[in-house]
Amino acid sequence: MRAVYRILAMIIAAGVVVQTAAIAFAMFDIEHKTDDGVFYTKDSDNGGIALHMILGERVIPVVALAFLIVAFFARIPGGVKWAAITFGVLILQIVLAYAGKAVPFIGVLHAINAFALATVASIAMRKARLAGAPAQPAAA
Amino acid sequence: MRNSIKAGIAAGAAMAILGPLGFFWQKSLIPGTYDMATMGYADFGGGTPTGHAHGSAGLDVATLTGPATGTPDVSVTLTVRLANGKYTVNGSSPGPEIRAAKGQLIQATLVNDNVPDGVTMHWHGMDVPNAEDGVAGVTQDAVKPGQSYVYRFVAQDAGTYWYHSHQVGHEQVRRGLFGPIVITDPAATPPDADQVVSVHTYDGRRTINGQAGPVRPANATPGRTLRLRVINTDAGPLRAWPSAGLKYRITAIDGRSVNQPPEISDKSVIVTAGGRIDFDFVVPADGRFRLDVGAGSAVGDGAASPEPKDTLDPLTYGVATSLGFDPAKANRKFDYRIGRRAGFLDGKPGLWWSINGHLFPDVPMFMVATGDIVTMTISNTSGEVHPMHLHGHHAVVLSRNGVKATGSPWWFDSLDVGDNETYVIAFVADNPGIWVDHCHNLQHAVDGLLAHLAYTGVTTPYRVGGDAGNSPE
Repeated sequence: MRAVYRILAMIIAAGVVVQTAAIAFAMFDIEHKTDDGVFYTKDSDNGGIALHMILGERVIPVVALAFLIVAFFARIPGGVKWAAITFGVLILQIVLAYAGKAVPFIGVLHAINAFALATVASIAMRKARLAGAPAQPAAA
Repeated sequence: MRNSIKAGIAAGAAMAILGPLGFFWQKSLIPGTYDMATMGYADFGGGTPTGHAHGSAGLDVATLTGPATGTPDVSVTLTVRLANGKYTVNGSSPGPEIRAAKGQLIQATLVNDNVPDGVTMHWHGMDVPNAEDGVAGVTQDAVKPGQSYVYRFVAQDAGTYWYHSHQVGHEQVRRGLFGPIVITDPAATPPDADQVVSVHTYDGRRTINGQAGPVRPANATPGRTLRLRVINTDAGPLRAWPSAGLKYRITAIDGRSVNQPPEISDKSVIVTAGGRIDFDFVVPADGRFRLDVGAGSAVGDGAASPEPKDTLDPLTYGVATSLGFDPAKANRKFDYRIGRRAGFLDGKPGLWWSINGHLFPDVPMFMVATGDIVTMTISNTSGEVHPMHLHGHHAVVLSRNGVKATGSPWWFDSLDVGDNETYVIAFVADNPGIWVDHCHNLQHAVDGLLAHLAYTGVTTPYRVGGDAGNSPE
C-alpha cells in the first residue's frame, strides 16, 4: 500500500508536468496555425487543450481520488493528511480553471496553483519514502 | 485488535467517499432509449398544472404537420452526402438557397445519400408546425442512408432563416450540413439587390457562402438599395460592421422586422450564433462598400476599416410599438438559469452546464397550454456566452440586466446571453408541440444545455436513442 501511495503521488506530480507541456504545446500550435490563416473560434479543436481537459478533469481527479482512498489503508504518518491536502489543492485547481474562463486573470492563479499541486504531491511522496525506510529492518 | 479497528475506520472512510460518488454516478446514467417528454421534471411556471404531458390519450406530435394536401409553390430536394469528413447538400456547402414568398407552401424532400448517423432538417427560426421541426427523437426519427423524408409547411413570416441538421448537430452543422432560406414579403418594396451572407468557419477558416475571399453581390451598383442578410452558422457570436462612414439600417433581426429602424453608421453589430441580421443601405456613388464579418472575411470590395468601438444595442434601436399581447398578463413565469456545476453527465464526471441548478437530464420541462402568455427570465452565471435558441416560437426581449427595452420590439429566436447577463423575455404559446430550447453552441447542447417547452397533453411517439439512433443535439 505504501508503494501504491507513493506511485499515485508520483503520477499526480508528473501529471502537473505533462499538463504544463500540453498547454505550452497548445499555445505554440495556435500561434503556428495563425501563420497559415487559421483562426481560433469556439468550435476550434486543439490537441493540447483536449489533452489538458481529459487529464485535468478525468484522469488526474480519478488518480487523486484513488490516492486518497489508498491513504486510508497505507498507514503512513501524515499520509492521509497530505493526500487530503493534495486532493484539496486539485479541487482548487479545477475551480480556478473554470473561474478563469469568466475572469482570465484568475488563469494566472491556475498556473501558480499547479506548482502548489506538484509540491504537495511531492511532499506526500516523501512521507511515504520516510515511512518506508525504518519499517524495512523491522520487517526483516 | 487495534489493527482491525484501523482497517475498519479506513474502510468506512473509503465507503463514505465512494458510496455517494457511486450513487450519483449511477443516478446520472441516461437510458439507451428514452422519451424526451418524460425526462426531467415538469415546471408549470406558477400557472395551473392542467393536463398531463404523459397521457396516452394526448395529442401526438406526429399529427402536428403542415398542410398534407395541396401543390407546393416551392418544391426542393435536399440530398445530403458525407465525403472526406465534410457534409454537402446537393453537392455544396452551404446547401442551395431556398427562396419563397410569404404564404407559399414549401415542400422539401430530404434525402440521405450516405450519412451513417442519419440526418434531419430543422428550419431554424421558422415557426413551423411541430412535426416539421426536424428534431431527431422529438419530432421525427433520424433519416437513415438511402431513406428520405418530406417536410411541408407554409412560409408564415418573411425574413432570413437557415436550415440545418438536428441529428448529431454539433458535428454535422460544423462540417457543413446547412443552407440559407429566405422568405420574401410580396406586400413590401423589395431592395434593388438582395444577398444572403452565410458565415461559416470550416476548419479554422471563416467563409461567406462557402468562399474565403471577399464576396461581391450582383447588381450592387451605385445608388441602388442593397440588403445583406447575415446568417451566423457558427458556434460563437460574430461581429459584423459596414465600412467606416457608410450609413445603414438594421431592418430585421432573426426574421422579424425592426420597427422604423434609424440610419446609423460606424457601429458593429453582434450576430448571435444561429441568429440573422439584415443590413440595408444604399450603395455609395463610387460603388465601393464593404461589410466585414470578422477574421478578414467580407462582402464587397471597399477598403477595409477597423472594427468600430461602438456596438449597436437592439434594446434601444428603432421605435417601440405594440407587441400584439400584454406580457404583464403572463400566466406562466419561468426561470432558465444557466450555471455550471460539478457532477456526472451520463456517468461522465466533470463541470457541466446546469439549468436551474440541475444537470441534464434532470432539467425542467417548461409546461404551457395553447394561448398562454409566457415570460422567462434567462440568466447566465456559467462563465461563457450561450446563444439560446427556442424552437417554434419568436420571443421578445423585455429587459436586459433590469434595463427595459425601449426601442422597436426586439423579436428573436436566438439570443446571445453573455456571462452575468439576465434577460427577461416574453412570448405567446401559440404553436402546440414539444420544442427544444437549447444553446446553439451545439457542443454545449451535447453537454447538457438543452431543455424543452412542452404543451400540456402533447406526446411524442419518437424516442431519443433507440433503433433510429436519434441524437437530437
